[in-house]
Amino acid sequence: MSEPLLSLKDITAGYGRAALVLRGLSVTVEAGQVVCLVGPNGAGKSTVLRVASGLLAPRSGSVVLAGEDVTGRSPQALLDRGLSHVLQGHSVFREMTVAENVRLGGYTVRDKARLREREEAVKELFPIVAERWGGIAGLLSGGQQKQVEFARALMLEPKVVLLDEPSMGLDPKTTQTVFDQIDLMRRAGVAVLLVEQNARRALEMADVGCVLDLGAVHISGPARELAADPRLGALYLGGAAARNGPQA
Amino acid sequence: MRTVSKLLLLAGTAGALAYPWLVPNYYLVYAGVLTVMYAAMATSWNILGGFTGYVSLGHSAFFGLGAYGTGLLITRAGMPWVLALLVSAVLVTVAAAVIGVAAVRVRGASFVIVSIALVSVMNLLVQGWRSLTGGATGLQVPAPFELSRGQTHMVFFYLFLALLGLVLLTWWFISRSRFGGGLKAIREDEDKAEMLGVPTAAFKVVAFAVSALFVALAGGLYAVWFRSLDPIFVFSIVSGVYMVLMSLLGGVRHLFGPLLGALIIAPAGEYFLIALGESQIHLTATGVLLVLVVLFMPEGIVPRLVGRPKGASIREDTAEQRLQEVKG
Repeated sequence: MSEPLLSLKDITAGYGRAALVLRGLSVTVEAGQVVCLVGPNGAGKSTVLRVASGLLAPRSGSVVLAGEDVTGRSPQALLDRGLSHVLQGHSVFREMTVAENVRLGGYTVRDKARLREREEAVKELFPIVAERWGGIAGLLSGGQQKQVEFARALMLEPKVVLLDEPSMGLDPKTTQTVFDQIDLMRRAGVAVLLVEQNARRALEMADVGCVLDLGAVHISGPARELAADPRLGALYLGGAAARNGPQA
Repeated sequence: MRTVSKLLLLAGTAGALAYPWLVPNYYLVYAGVLTVMYAAMATSWNILGGFTGYVSLGHSAFFGLGAYGTGLLITRAGMPWVLALLVSAVLVTVAAAVIGVAAVRVRGASFVIVSIALVSVMNLLVQGWRSLTGGATGLQVPAPFELSRGQTHMVFFYLFLALLGLVLLTWWFISRSRFGGGLKAIREDEDKAEMLGVPTAAFKVVAFAVSALFVALAGGLYAVWFRSLDPIFVFSIVSGVYMVLMSLLGGVRHLFGPLLGALIIAPAGEYFLIALGESQIHLTATGVLLVLVVLFMPEGIVPRLVGRPKGASIREDTAEQRLQEVKG
């Protein structure tokens, strides 16, 4: 078993004075692994990603990235250390071109030769990005915009990519394309922490699945086994798993 | 298309250079100076407003500071006018950077209110500090050249034209730079831009200061051209609104948008002033125009002229073709 690239340990976190959203959550992601977080609305899935990317400081617990404790560091600092976060919904800069969007992913890099090299690499990975390079990003379809976001996220050759509901609002065919791209990231050795509402579909392609409920990992294990676990449906259908007690 | 653009640019430049020699009287040269001055100011405003989306209604504060700075350095410190103009512009830019650190912390309507407060405070400050500025009676600046009024208009037409050229070049360079890319990202989504590593706070302050620099230069040139500084006019919110209106009318996303807006609004303003006299009715016309632009042409004239960008991803295959594709 290899060392985890991203490790969240005993995280508690919340927004303002409101009740805690995450209550002692722990999760790890290794290189070339897709870990999928699923769970009902309000379980704290997106909050996990916000804590991991530095958008939300945890009240306790630690975030370790490639062996370094980065708890409470800014999103920019984590970006520089190889962690990229693709936000929920469509997060392209709509009035800018695809090229400008992708280049923003490498904004912190000043070496022009390296930037060009990365541009070519992501164009090769996402042909639609190359095809629409000079077009306005806001005019692309939902699936194409998602691929532009992926390309932007990969500009800095991140070690870890956080994906927040990448299939949101996409038709099944486009969702398949998006999941194929996630598989490509995994093959490139990237550690992917994925949050998805489309639980069964996401667990089919992920390596590890974690079911969240009430701010903690309720069930975890090999993703395909989890997809077949009847407790998954029960949890989605009304918190039956919560009544049965947590299992790790 | 590129050739057409180049030809239009060449024709426009030649027309602008020939303008003072083609018009029949010096009044039209004077109107031309005003138009070019507003075009330079609106394009300067657009360095902040167009790139970052921060709408400042108080940019006339920098115009007034540039004008008074230049006037005071000439009259009180005895500086040559060119040196006074440059020193004043640098001082205003530094002041704008300091003000910008606080001002651009707030966004949207709050920033608009802060910018209006800025021009009001400057107006009160200049009117209140009578011993230095002359207070409400204004400041008289000595003539820079021993020329007739008409010939002076000719000289300042070209000086303002040079300033306009400089601002246009600056805007063009920024739009193609890494800095410009960061500013555009701020305009679309500041939080997201910050997440991607764009130093948003520093970039906004720099854009604010660069924008103020050219407006201050316009104010300084105005001081030595007009020679009589009235604090009510130079620190007027109306001239700040004009900069916004010209930019919106022409199109804030385009290099020549504010210039096109100035070419329409400045002569129209002069016309209304002549037709309606020294009343405030021309301001009503300005207000109505602003409302019409926001309602019916929010993107401005230039996007209407060049058309919408191509490349929308509208599916071109039929449902039948897609079914065949799925069946394999």
